Amino acid sequence: MAYSELIKNFEKIRAYMRDFYVFGFHTRNDFDRKSPRSYDNERRRIESWLGDSMVFHQDASGKRVFISVDSRETRHNPLYRALKAKSFTNKDITLHFYILDMLADGEKLSFKTIADRIQDYYIADDSFMPDDSTIRNKLKEYVSLGILKTEKFGRELLYSRCNRAWDMDAWKDAVSFASEMMPLGAVGAFLLDKYPDSRDYFSFKHHYLMGALDSGILEELLVCRMERKNALITFSTRRDKDGRYQALVYPMKIYISTRNGRENLLAYSFEERCPRMYRLDRIHAVKMMENQPEPEKLERTGNCFARYLWGTSSGPDRNRELQKLTMRIRLEEDESFVADRLYREKRNGTVIRLDEHTYEFIAIVYDAQEILPWIRTFTGRIESLTCTDPEVTRRFYEDLQEMYEIYGGGNAVQ
Amino acid sequence: MLFNEVYGSYYNVVAGILTEAVRGTLSKERIREIILKKAYMESGISIPEALEKGEWPLLRKDYTTPLRHVPTMPLTTLQKQWMKAICQDPRIRLFDPPMQELEDVEPLFSTDFFVWFDRDGDGDPYEDPFYQEHFKKVLLALKEGRDLRIRYRSKHYCHDQMFIPEKLEYSSKDDKFRLVAYSPKGTQYVIRLASVLEVSLTEKNGIRSFSVKPRKEIVVLELVDERNALERAMIHFSDIEKETMKLDDTHYRITLRYRKEDETEILIRVLSFGPKIRVSSPDSFIELIRERLHMQRNFESCGS
Repeated sequence: MAYSELIKNFEKIRAYMRDFYVFGFHTRNDFDRKSPRSYDNERRRIESWLGDSMVFHQDASGKRVFISVDSRETRHNPLYRALKAKSFTNKDITLHFYILDMLADGEKLSFKTIADRIQDYYIADDSFMPDDSTIRNKLKEYVSLGILKTEKFGRELLYSRCNRAWDMDAWKDAVSFASEMMPLGAVGAFLLDKYPDSRDYFSFKHHYLMGALDSGILEELLVCRMERKNALITFSTRRDKDGRYQALVYPMKIYISTRNGRENLLAYSFEERCPRMYRLDRIHAVKMMENQPEPEKLERTGNCFARYLWGTSSGPDRNRELQKLTMRIRLEEDESFVADRLYREKRNGTVIRLDEHTYEFIAIVYDAQEILPWIRTFTGRIESLTCTDPEVTRRFYEDLQEMYEIYGGGNAVQ
Repeated sequence: MLFNEVYGSYYNVVAGILTEAVRGTLSKERIREIILKKAYMESGISIPEALEKGEWPLLRKDYTTPLRHVPTMPLTTLQKQWMKAICQDPRIRLFDPPMQELEDVEPLFSTDFFVWFDRDGDGDPYEDPFYQEHFKKVLLALKEGRDLRIRYRSKHYCHDQMFIPEKLEYSSKDDKFRLVAYSPKGTQYVIRLASVLEVSLTEKNGIRSFSVKPRKEIVVLELVDERNALERAMIHFSDIEKETMKLDDTHYRITLRYRKEDETEILIRVLSFGPKIRVSSPDSFIELIRERLHMQRNFESCGS
C-alpha cells in the first residue's frame, strides 16, 4: 500500500511519538521490535505533522530523532496535530462537503432527495456517484456525531443540519485557554481550527504535553464513566511493556500530576476486588461493557482508598498497609518562603510549627517511598526524617551519603 | 470519536480552499499558500493532486466549485459536551463564555472526575469578584493594546506603576496566573495576578511589545538508570527543552536548557532525584548543589 501521511489507527503511532517526545535518544536500530520500514514510515509521518518541533542529530550511535519543545514558549500543544491525521476515502471527503452544502440553507431533505441532488447538482462524472449504502452510512454517521439531525415526516426520515447558534468570538479565550489546560484539550484544539489566525494572550509554565497522545483513551473512559458502564481495558505494565493484559474495571477518577503530566486511571478492578491505578499511557484499548448496578458503592470504596495516596502508589505489591513518615525541617530567620512551600505542597500530610524555626511534616500513606523525591527538595533544611518503614529512612540517608560522595568525596561538602 | 477525519487537517485545509473557490478568489497560487499555512509538510503534494485529478470532485479546472455556500460544519456533540464540561471550572468562568447556548447539553465529564493530586494548595481565588475584575481588565488590555496602571503588593511593599502587558502565564502546578509585563522603559516584570490590588486601563496605545527571547542557561546531568530513574526523569523534565544521549546501557547524559529565573526550581527538581542524577556542568550549578549538601551536613545528627 502506498505511503500516506494520514493514518487509520492512532494506537500504532502513539508509542513512536511518546518515544520521540519523552526519550528522544533512540536510533533507528533501537526500534528493532518493528520493521525498519515501519519505523521509517512512522518517523516520516511525525516529521510531516510536527515540522519544526522535530530535531535530528547524527552521532556515532546513529541518527537520533526527537521532539524538542519548550512548552513555556509553545502556545499550542504541537502533539494535537497528530490527532488531526485520520485517513478517509475519496467518497468520505466529497460527501462531507456535498451534504453539508446541500443542507446549508436549513432545508430538511429525505435520503432520496439528497442522493438525487448529489447526482444532479454536484457530480459531473457519473462514475464517481456513491452507491446508496455509502450515502446512507455517511448520513447515519453524521447523525451520531451530532452534525445532522433527523425528524420523521410521514413515513420519511428528513435530514437537516444541527445548526446551533454559538457566539464564536465570545468563546475564543475560554477555548484557547482550555485547549491547553483542561482535560481532553484536543477538542478545544479542533474548535480553534474554526477561527482565523489571531493573537494568543496565554502561555503556560509546567506544561506537560504528553497527555495529548492519550486523548482517545481518556475520551472512551469518560464516556464509560458518564454512562456508568464498566470497561474492559487492555493494558501493559512497567515490567512487561510489550505484554497485553485485560481487566474488567469500573472507571472512577483520573489522577493527573502537575509535576510530570502523568495521568492515571483510578478504577475498581473486579478481578482484584478493590480499587487500583492504571497508567493511561499504558492503556491500549477501552471497550464499553455492561451497566454498573452499584456505582455509588464502588465510588465510596474508591474515595476511602484514595485518602491514603500520596501520589498513585498503594504500596509495595499494592499491599495497602499504612506507613507514617515524619520530617522535621529547620529554617533560618529569612526562610519563611520554605515554610510557605511546605504548607502549599503538603497534600494530605499535616504541618505543625514546633517553634520559631522548626516545622514538622507528617504523612500517613500507603507508600512513603513515594514521598522521598519531594522530601529531597528540602535538602539543606532537613533536621530529621523518620518512618515506620525503616527501609524508607535507610534509603533516604544512604542516598544522602552517596550525594556527599558524588559532590566532593565524603566530607568535602562540609 | 475524537480521532475522526471531520476534525482533521485535510478537511480544514480543503474547507479553506473551497471557501475561496465559492468567493471566486481561488488560484493555483492561493491553493499553495493555504496549504503552506495550514497543512502538514507533505500535504502540499497530496491535496492539490487529489483536487486536480478529480479524486475529490470538489473543484473544477477553472477553480470554481459545485458548492454554493462557504463550507461550514455545525458543532459536533463531542465539541458541545466538552464546552459544557469546561464551564464547570471557575478558571473558565473568568472568560464569561455564553453558557446559555448549551443549556440542553450534557457535559462530557464532571470536573470531580479529575484529581490534580500534587497541585499547590494556595491557588488563585478565581471566585473572588475583585480577582475576576482584575483578570478581565488585564485580558482586555492585552486584546486592545492598552497600557495598565497596576497597584499590587509584593512581599514587603505596595507598588503603583504603569505597565505594558505582554501575556498572561498560567502554571497548572502553582495554579496561578501571572501577568508578564514591561515598564515603559522596557524592564520585564512578572506579577502574580492574586497580588493585584487595583487595575486601571489607559486609552488605546496599539499593540506594543518589548518581548525578547529569554536567555537560557544550560545544565548537564548524568543519569544512572536505577529504580526507573530514566523514565521518571524523562517525563519529569519533558516540559523544558532537553536533549538526551545514551552513554551505555545504564548511563545517560541529559542537557536541559532553562531560564535563569527558574534556577532554584530546577535545582530542587534535580535534587529530587537524589544520587541517580549527578550534575556534571556548569560549575556554578554544581556549587549550588554543594551548598545545599553543606547545609544538610550541619544536621549531622540526622538519622544517627
